[in-house]
Amino acid sequence: MLACLFYLAVFPHAFGQATIDGTVALPKKRSAPVVTQRYEIVSKGGILSPNPPIAVVYLEGAFPTPTSPPTKQIAQKDLNFTPALLAVPVGTKVEFPNEDDTYHNIFSYSPAKRFDLGRYRPDERPIPSVVFDTPGLVTIRCDIHEHMRGLILVLSTPYFTTTDTNGHFRLNGLPPGRYSLKAWLNSKTTHERQIDLKSGEVLHVEFP
Amino acid sequence: MMLVIVALTAIAVYLVQRIAMADVDVVLQQDFRSELSSLDRAEELRRESLTERCRSLVLNPRLHAALEDNALDLLYPSARDELRDLVQKDDQDANESGLRATFYRFLNLAASIIPPSDFTNVGELGQFESSQLVLRTLPTSPQNGYFLRSSSQGNTTLEEVIAVPVFSTETGEAISALIVGFKLSEPTTKGENSGIRRGIWVNDRLYLPGSDSATAEDLNRKISGALNGKASRSLPLEVGGQSYLLFYRLLNPVSSFPPAYQVCIYPLRNALARQRTLQWRIIGAGCSLLAFGFIASHFAARTLARPVEQLALESQTNLAERQRVEANLANTNQELKRSARFSANASHQLKNPVTVLRAGIESLLTREDFESPVYEELSSLLHQTYRLTGVIDDLLLLSRMDAGHLQIDFGSVNLSEVVNEWLDDFSALPNPMGLRMEKQLPPSLRIAGEKRYTRLIVQNLLENARKYNRPGGRIRIRVEEVNDNLLLIVGNTGAIIAVAEQQHLFERFYRGGASEKVTGHGLGLNLARDLALLHRGELFLIRSENDWTEFAVRFQLAGPGNNGTQIT
Repeated sequence: MLACLFYLAVFPHAFGQATIDGTVALPKKRSAPVVTQRYEIVSKGGILSPNPPIAVVYLEGAFPTPTSPPTKQIAQKDLNFTPALLAVPVGTKVEFPNEDDTYHNIFSYSPAKRFDLGRYRPDERPIPSVVFDTPGLVTIRCDIHEHMRGLILVLSTPYFTTTDTNGHFRLNGLPPGRYSLKAWLNSKTTHERQIDLKSGEVLHVEFP
Repeated sequence: MMLVIVALTAIAVYLVQRIAMADVDVVLQQDFRSELSSLDRAEELRRESLTERCRSLVLNPRLHAALEDNALDLLYPSARDELRDLVQKDDQDANESGLRATFYRFLNLAASIIPPSDFTNVGELGQFESSQLVLRTLPTSPQNGYFLRSSSQGNTTLEEVIAVPVFSTETGEAISALIVGFKLSEPTTKGENSGIRRGIWVNDRLYLPGSDSATAEDLNRKISGALNGKASRSLPLEVGGQSYLLFYRLLNPVSSFPPAYQVCIYPLRNALARQRTLQWRIIGAGCSLLAFGFIASHFAARTLARPVEQLALESQTNLAERQRVEANLANTNQELKRSARFSANASHQLKNPVTVLRAGIESLLTREDFESPVYEELSSLLHQTYRLTGVIDDLLLLSRMDAGHLQIDFGSVNLSEVVNEWLDDFSALPNPMGLRMEKQLPPSLRIAGEKRYTRLIVQNLLENARKYNRPGGRIRIRVEEVNDNLLLIVGNTGAIIAVAEQQHLFERFYRGGASEKVTGHGLGLNLARDLALLHRGELFLIRSENDWTEFAVRFQLAGPGNNGTQIT
């Protein structure tokens, strides 16, 4: 939402923007209702997906590269990444604050971004951070706690959103034009839909 | 008997020896097995600890990240840090105990080795070695195997390899495997001392450290024949003229690596020597037991026989003594008979001259032409002939009794009558000492006996009472009835019989001190006592004290059973 407002301010031609809303059919919850609404990354059959299931819906097209997107945070809390799934535009700086009373060592061997923050404690300042400058899915792990798994979806578009747990989404302030609308469900599943956005139009899309 | 004992002992020794040998065999096998199992356990523990170490290594998130996130270039660098302590070579002790890895490699999904970008710290692995580590598929469980490493000197050594699968945290499937090589642990000194040698049989060859090539070749042939697919087995083996006990065990039952057997051989030389020593000891012990038994039984027999021999000797002595005594008795008997016969003969021979003498003197007395002193002399001589006749009669009677020829013709005798007869004679004779007679007799006293002899007894007693009396003394005659017996008690005053003399009183020809003034020949009491005995009675002294001497004679009262009975 913030990103949308930001773009509204930066790009005046965006007036007469289009909106997409709709739902993504999400897989069923894997376990009993969770007490705390917190996303985890579970892997089954080699597929990393958030639990409870949510989807990232984004608009792909030739958009100008944003200069400095706002800094994001993925905290390590209770030996988990919070949030477990984060979608960021290219060039976003993500901070990894340690909110546990133990060491963590965040690293990634993913082709989209390889990094190793080394071991650090909660009081580490400045908060270790990484700038994600290549689009792609980055799996973040902790060298000390082998079960910790986080996903960062680095996108080359400023127009994206995350569905709620029911699969509802809404994208505002979209420039008119022909695009490819994608819904990322997990590391192996991304739905795609070709759309033609007209100015001021509210398009309704159902995935799949 | 001896042969039987020897045979039994030999059989016992043989059985004991057989049992002992069997025990020794069992103990040997057990020793061997237990030693082996302790070695195996140590080996197993080592292998397990190494496997566990590898298993924990492959859980490392970086390895997983490198494999799962397609970052193979980071695989070995990531593993390097984690495996550093396993492959580091500065710890000499750990290296020798086989706890240090000689190399490590990862396998890809096709089960072939992922080549490391940098060979430092991952251990050397030549083409020859690598070719042996190619597996058909990725293992899904930890496995172990053996491979040959050729050194620069041209000889080959055996090394152990452990393969641990790496499971994807995403798919749960094996995506890789870590294989780590280790040097074989050297056999412990304990194993060497007991002579156990252990080797590995892999790829149809035995690798037995410290054996010369000829022995190894021989063993190789023998063992390849012995391995017949069983997982473990123990069997005796003859190699190069020496006996061995062989034990083999499949080391990697579930493995993609070629099957490897642990082969242990145990030389039986020492055991056989021990067995022989034991055998000889048992035989020696048996022989000494036999010898000891013989000696002991000999001594025991001697100890037991001594009293028996003594007894035999004594019985012989006793027999001789008895025979001697019997002979003496017979002699004495004969002597006695002879003497009795002599007495009888002598008495008879004497009686005739005395009768002749008496007749001569009596005829001289009838003459009237002698002077008066001559008559007195003749009367005295005549009196002496009567005395002589009395002595001869007594002797004759005694000799008859001694020879056992006197027979009592038992009948009923009136004892009062016998006493009264004597009293009549007494009153008819002069009484120079003025003796007073006291008589307490019932008129009729029937006893069993023969009158002539009863009279002799009674007369003897009464005569003695008269003769050994004192002037103015008295004689008391009384009877007492006790059961079937009658006691005739004759008491008289006068000199008493000394205690010392009392025991000789009834001896033949014994005459006490008081009898010096009294005429007699010392046969009377003896005769009376013997006659009383023949009458189944007795004669004894009751008392002799305070001017009073009392004799008693016991007769049996006459009864129906006593009449006519005769004893000899």
